[in-house]
Parts: sequence; C-alpha cells; structure tokens
Amino acid sequence: MMKKILLVEDDKFLRELMTKKLFSMEYDVVSAVDGESGLAMIKESKPDLVLLDLILPGINGFEVLERAKKDPETASIPIIILSNLGQKEDIDKGISLGAADFLVKAHFTPQEITNKLKIILG
Amino acid sequence: MEESLTKTDELIRVRAALLNILEDTDELRRLAVDEKNKTMAIIENLTDGVILLNKKNQVEIISPPALDFLGVKKNEIIGKHLVDFLQKEEFSQAKEALIDENEKRIKSVYKKEVQTKEGLYMEITSVLLKDEIEEKGFLIVIHDITKDRLVEKMKTEFVSIAAHQLRTPLSAIKWTVGMILDGDIGEINEEQRELLEKTYISNERMIHLVNDLLNVTRIEEGRLLYNQEWGQLESLTEDVLNNFQETLKMKNIFLDFEKPKGLPSVKFDKEKMGLVLQNLIENAIKYTQNGGKIKISLEKDEKSVIFKIKDSGVGIPKNQQERIFTKFFRGENVIKMETEGTGLGLYTTKNIVNAHKGEIWFESSENEGTTFYFTVPIMKNN
Repeated sequence: MMKKILLVEDDKFLRELMTKKLFSMEYDVVSAVDGESGLAMIKESKPDLVLLDLILPGINGFEVLERAKKDPETASIPIIILSNLGQKEDIDKGISLGAADFLVKAHFTPQEITNKLKIILG
Repeated sequence: MEESLTKTDELIRVRAALLNILEDTDELRRLAVDEKNKTMAIIENLTDGVILLNKKNQVEIISPPALDFLGVKKNEIIGKHLVDFLQKEEFSQAKEALIDENEKRIKSVYKKEVQTKEGLYMEITSVLLKDEIEEKGFLIVIHDITKDRLVEKMKTEFVSIAAHQLRTPLSAIKWTVGMILDGDIGEINEEQRELLEKTYISNERMIHLVNDLLNVTRIEEGRLLYNQEWGQLESLTEDVLNNFQETLKMKNIFLDFEKPKGLPSVKFDKEKMGLVLQNLIENAIKYTQNGGKIKISLEKDEKSVIFKIKDSGVGIPKNQQERIFTKFFRGENVIKMETEGTGLGLYTTKNIVNAHKGEIWFESSENEGTTFYFTVPIMKNN
C-alpha cells in the first residue's frame, strides 16, 4: 500500500517541489500550510509520516509536534522536522519533543530528504 | 627728628610694597577663580559623568550625569567616601567594577561595562591621578553606552533575521536544481548539466555564507557556546578530517596527522570546536598548492592541549598579518588566487577559541607556509 506523507510547509514553492518529489517516489501526499490545519490533518488523515516546518503562521511547528506527541491517537506517527532553523538548541528542542529527525532545508536536496524518510518508514 | 622722618619714609615704602603684593595676590586669586570656573563649566557640561576623588577617596567634584547615575543630590555626596557610598545593594555592579575588594579602595579600571537598575549600560573608566611624589586621587568617567548597545543589538538581530529569511529562497534554488540534476524532471543534456552543476555550487557558496553570518551574529550576541562536554580533541580532529579525504586526494596533498597517546580530556562545545577545526583544515588545504604538505599535531603542556596545523601554502603577507582575525578580512594574495572565502572563517574561529578560554596564533611567511596554533585549557575534572 502507498504510504501517506503529510507535508506542513507555508512556502508555496517549497511545498510544490517537495510534493512533486514525493509523488515521483510514489508516496501519497497531503499538505497543510499552517500549524493549525497541520495538527488537524495529523489527526484526521493519520499519515504514515509528517514532514514539519517550524516557522509557521499561527501555532508554530514545535507546538504542533508537542501536541501531536501528547495525543495518544497520533503519538506514534513519526515526525521529521524540515526547517531553516538549525541552531543546536532548536535541534535539541525538536528531538526532545519527540521528532524522529531534524533536517535543515538548506542543507539537504529533496533526494537526500526522501532517503532519510525511507529509512524511517522502514 | 631726622630719625623719625626716616622711619615714616620707611613705613610709607613698606606700605606701598605691601599694597603691591596684595594687588598681585588679588590678581592671582581672580585668575585662579577664573580657571576654576572654567574647569567647573567644562566638567558640569560634559555629557559623560565625571567624579573627582581626593587621595582619601572622598568625592571632591561630581558632574550632573554622575549624580544621575548615583541617584543623589550634590550636597549628599560631596566629601563622602565613595567606597562607603557604593556599598548599597543597587550599586553592586558599579562596586564590583570600581572597588578593590581586598583593600576596600577604588582601583584603576578601563572601560568596564556596568548595568544600572534602570537597565542602562554604562562604561566606567577610573584613572589614578598622581605626580612624582604622591597619589592625588582618582578621576572616574562614566560614559552612557545604552544607545550603542541598542544599535548593536538591532544590527545583530537584523542580520540574524535576514540570514534566516535568505535560507528559504536558497533552499528553493537548491531543491529545484537538485531535482533537475537528479533527473526528477526529465532528461537533461550534458551542457545543461554542466551549467546547473555550477549553479548548484554557487548556491552552496551562498548557503555557506549565510551559515557564517549566523555564526557571527551569535558571536556578537555573546551566546556562542551552547553545550560544553568533555571529549578528546584528537578524535574530533579525526572526525573532521574524514570530510576532507576526497579534497586532499584531488589536490594531491600529503597530510600527516601526529597524535601522541594519553592526551587529557578537555571541555568543549563539540559543534563549535568542530567548526574551528574545519575552518583551519579547510584554509590549510585551500591555500596550499597541489602536491603540497600539511602536518597536524597535538601536544600538551601543563595548562592546555595545543593543536598545531602547518601547511606549505601561500602564506599570509607580512603587512596583513595583523588583520587576519578581523571580520570580512581576506589576504590580498588569496583574493588574487580566486579562491572562495567569506572572510568570516578566522574571525569565527578566534571567537570560538577565546570563548573556550583558549588562545590562537600563527606564524607565517609568504610562499613558504603558515602554521596555526590554538589551545584548549585543561580544567580540573569536576
């Protein structure tokens, strides 16, 4: 069965590029443009994995991550942070809140990102 | 009769002489008062706060901004001992800056930063006044740097925000070009590939610059080190060196890494110290011609672990060696070589080393090579 990826990203072009890449890797892709709807979609569509940006309109990515991990219904869904923050304290915060990985957008190509994702999806 | 006449004469002469002296004295006194008024006018109108202490550390002269700083009226402080006065809780920072705790007296300081309870930043300088014979007292100058600090902070924040904002479009370029190069959008021909690969490298350079800028803003915000842990400098060096194997092979540079056994553990921020090693190794490789030699060695003395990297590269021109650690500086000879570089590497490196309480220095001669040294202090293990 096709694995479903939820992409939470507020930048339209980055969202398009990543969606295209994920489609080409034969994933089912759904996306959200802010924290609020991202969190709602984690609950509703139960993706197999979430790619989560941190700086988002409304509630930020850290909060989305924290709430998703607190909710027993969604706690087991792996969440990879994909952000342009990337100082050590951001990374530590993300990992301690339960992120499966922390990727700085500017440091990885879509191919490298999907490679990481493949490992986590098993 | 004659005798009394001569006496009267004499008295008249003495009187005239005395009057003369009196007049001179009066003139001198007026001059002195004039001078004093001038001096006071200068001190009173300076924008910096000024306090003059006599040799007993009592306040002799104090200007309005200094009164504001201490929050007192003039008559409450003239003649008082400044050391006693600064004992109040609200002056704890000024006290720490100005008073020699052991001897309970004012000490000489140069541009020491103090924060007031209102949150203003002051820079305090205190100079010992003395002549050949004795100490005369102290001159204390209080300079308000709140505005400078604010501008500095805004500048740093601006760079930090700009750098983060830059990362999004840079990511978009990286992802697009990356996907095209990976064939995700369809086949491309050799010529297209070549151009896109160059585009990709240019973009990587920009990402690198943004990362450097972010590191610089962290230096300026004074929150450079994040997490210091115990570790072995030689194993970190090995990790960092692994990233350079390919470049070394490509440039046919022979690298010798000499590490003695039994080096003590030292405390460092792994990420930032990694950056130091990366910068120094990268520079050594970049500025060494193909077929050159690089030698890395680690030593220790009683106080620190010493890292040493010696290259057979182009060297740093003598007249530019002083500026090598300043922000955005690049040597003239390496600019001509058209090598990449932001001029931020050694600035960042020095700041990281200093934040670890270590030192960094170098020896270099043009066309012969450069050796960089830095130290990480050995601390007691508790």
